[in-house]
Amino acid sequence: MGSNNKKHRDRESRKRRHRSPSDSYEDSSPKEKKHKHHHKHKHRRDKDKKKDKNKYNYISDDSDIVEVPVEDNVQKSSPQRTVNVEEPNTSRSSESLSIEDTNKLRAKLGLKPLDLRPSADATSSSNGSSRSKDNKLTESKLKDDWGEFYHKPADNWAVKAQQEKFRSKLAERKEKRELHNKLSKVKTLGESDEEEDAVSWVDKNRKIEESKKEAERRAKMLEELDAQFGIGEVIESEERERKNQQYTSQNLRGLKVDHDIDDIAEEKNIILTLKDKGVLEEEDDVLVNVNMIDDERYRKNIENKKTKNIYNQFEEEFDQFGNPIEKSVLSKYDEEINGLKKAGFTLGSDISFEARKQQAMNEAVRINLAKKKLERIADTDLKLASEYYNEDELAKFKKPKKIRRKIRPKSKLLSVEDLEKTADNEGIESIGSRRPKYKVNPEDFNIDDTADINGPIDFTIDEKDGILEQVLKAKKIKHRENMVGDMVTDTLVKTEVKEENVDSGSIVLNATAEFCRSLGDIPTYGKAGNRDEDEDLEMNFENNLKDENSSDEDVQIIESSGWNSVDPNETRKIPEVVPQEVQILDEEPDVSKGMGAALKVAMSKGYLEKEDNARPSNSRLAHLQAKHYSIEDKVYGDDGERGGRRGDRYAGPIQDFKEREGFKPNVKLEYIDDEGHILNSKEAFRYLSHKFHGKGPGKNKVEKRIKKGVQEQLMKKMSSTDTPLGTLNMLQAKQKESQSPFVVLSGNKQTQNTMISKVSRR
Amino acid sequence: MLEITCNDRLGKKVRVKCNPDDTIEDLKKLIAAQTGTRWDKIVLKKWYTTFKDHIQLQDYEIHDGMNIELYYQ
Repeated sequence: MGSNNKKHRDRESRKRRHRSPSDSYEDSSPKEKKHKHHHKHKHRRDKDKKKDKNKYNYISDDSDIVEVPVEDNVQKSSPQRTVNVEEPNTSRSSESLSIEDTNKLRAKLGLKPLDLRPSADATSSSNGSSRSKDNKLTESKLKDDWGEFYHKPADNWAVKAQQEKFRSKLAERKEKRELHNKLSKVKTLGESDEEEDAVSWVDKNRKIEESKKEAERRAKMLEELDAQFGIGEVIESEERERKNQQYTSQNLRGLKVDHDIDDIAEEKNIILTLKDKGVLEEEDDVLVNVNMIDDERYRKNIENKKTKNIYNQFEEEFDQFGNPIEKSVLSKYDEEINGLKKAGFTLGSDISFEARKQQAMNEAVRINLAKKKLERIADTDLKLASEYYNEDELAKFKKPKKIRRKIRPKSKLLSVEDLEKTADNEGIESIGSRRPKYKVNPEDFNIDDTADINGPIDFTIDEKDGILEQVLKAKKIKHRENMVGDMVTDTLVKTEVKEENVDSGSIVLNATAEFCRSLGDIPTYGKAGNRDEDEDLEMNFENNLKDENSSDEDVQIIESSGWNSVDPNETRKIPEVVPQEVQILDEEPDVSKGMGAALKVAMSKGYLEKEDNARPSNSRLAHLQAKHYSIEDKVYGDDGERGGRRGDRYAGPIQDFKEREGFKPNVKLEYIDDEGHILNSKEAFRYLSHKFHGKGPGKNKVEKRIKKGVQEQLMKKMSSTDTPLGTLNMLQAKQKESQSPFVVLSGNKQTQNTMISKVSRR
Repeated sequence: MLEITCNDRLGKKVRVKCNPDDTIEDLKKLIAAQTGTRWDKIVLKKWYTTFKDHIQLQDYEIHDGMNIELYYQ
């Protein structure tokens, strides 16, 4: 555009130049110029025109249309195209030759003249009027190296679809017509009936009948002929022969049938066929019924479904007669290992016998079973159920036996002979005894041995007995008491001996007793009776102890149960608790007694530490330490690894390392105060720290420490058995003064009722 | 027939009429006749494609009214 503007300017300037001398008509100057320009080439163009007219006539008309001068009258503000056309005349840079000029030029250069037919390009740009008309022609026509050709027009899809539709419709119609034609020939039922009337039907039937009769007659004639020639006899004989040759049961003898004989029902025809077998197998033929094989397979499938592969080694199986089937180990795999066992039989030989035998056996078993059943029914006579057992039943009814071991024969009094016997048999009898065997020696009797005491006591484990039983027990005890009373009258020796017998007899260590003993005084609150029983036991022990202590006369047999057995006759001695003098305060060991006592005091007061603690740990735990290990060794190893020694990193040690035998350094660091106290680690640290920093502790701290030391001293001087204020001593004094086993702690009058008593206990 | 504008941007702008089956060489000769430069010194370009002498205008798809850059070598 810039160039255009420039051109305009140029033009205007020229115009001005032109204007100045002549008139002011604006359009004249370019027109003249144009004319001038044309004039310049006029003579050449004229020549060309002549030539052109001779050669190419077709150009002449068109050239007028394209001719520029027509557009000269258009105003200057017209579109750029006109300007462009104008330009070649005005500007010197952009020039455009006219067609004629160009053609001339082309002719000079040896080129063919311009193709003025409206080509696609030319029409699109130059004249829009003829465009639409020419388009159709030019679009389809294409020019190529091989000549001009037209593109085949594209198919119209809509038309095509329509055609297709029509075609299918026509085809359908055609088919319909054909079908109709075909069906029109077929007669319907009604039509056919119409055609065949009664007369024709009768005729037809008659004909059939006649033909039958004819055939019969003919057959008769032939037979007669045969009879005449004696053919009938021949045939008969043949038939007889054939019968003789028939395959009978004789021929089947020895053949094997692969089915159980029970499966083949009697009075039923079964077709047996030869079983398939391999060509090379040399086995006898086997007869088989196909249906039965199928049945068997079906049965087996069901069986397999039923079993579910449960491993039931211990469950017994019974056959149909109730006899247990013997099973081998892992019998379920037998079939897979050994193949199916098949019950078969051979024809002819001994079926009947075997079958009969089997059947007889079955029958016998069945009868047996039936008998059994009968018997059983007879056996059980029906009875009304009663709520109580009668006496017989009671006798039968077995109570669970109580675990009760009687050690002492109640009714029998021991004699010397018996004793001797027992002495002889001691080895055998006193198996349960814990005590060492010894000769019968009543003086030796050890009262303290609790194992002995266990002996006479009778434990019953069964705790839930009825009242009746309790009553019975009470009676028994009474009886025993009487006996004991008798025994008391006997000589002392006798009783002594008896005691020994008890001892030497089996001592029963009842688990329950042991348990109770071990329970001791642990309070058990689980069951109401439980605790009581335990106490009871304890009491009994004590009682027994007492008894034996005194004269071993009174022997108590206690039935332990939830119930306390009470003997009304007996007035039992209440064991007197001897008030023993109990020292609340331990006696302070007298230092003056001896060195041992002094040491004891020192130990109890903590002046002396136990030797165990005092011993240096090193020697004590020497056995735990690594045997070949010393600190030096460790250091050396570290050095080598880190290359700590710069100079001889690779040289290694100069000397072989010598291990010192039995070197166990016993190092103990002790820090001692300025006053000579041994400091513990904390104090030692503090001490060293103060020294290091040159700054001692504050005044308060020093005072505190001194105070602490004093207190420690006091502690050491203090009595080891009493509080520092002597409370216990005072307490005792008070008790002595008031002559009461207790002390009233609060002096308030209101609370005087609630007195806390302190009873001295063993 | 088609008319092409060739412009070197140095002050020469030529409009040339030619046939679509003319070669580039022919075009160059025409241009040379109008401008007065030797045809073999002319290089015709459109963007970065230099037109080769032996190829027809229609093969380069040069249509009527197109601008072609004009260079000299």
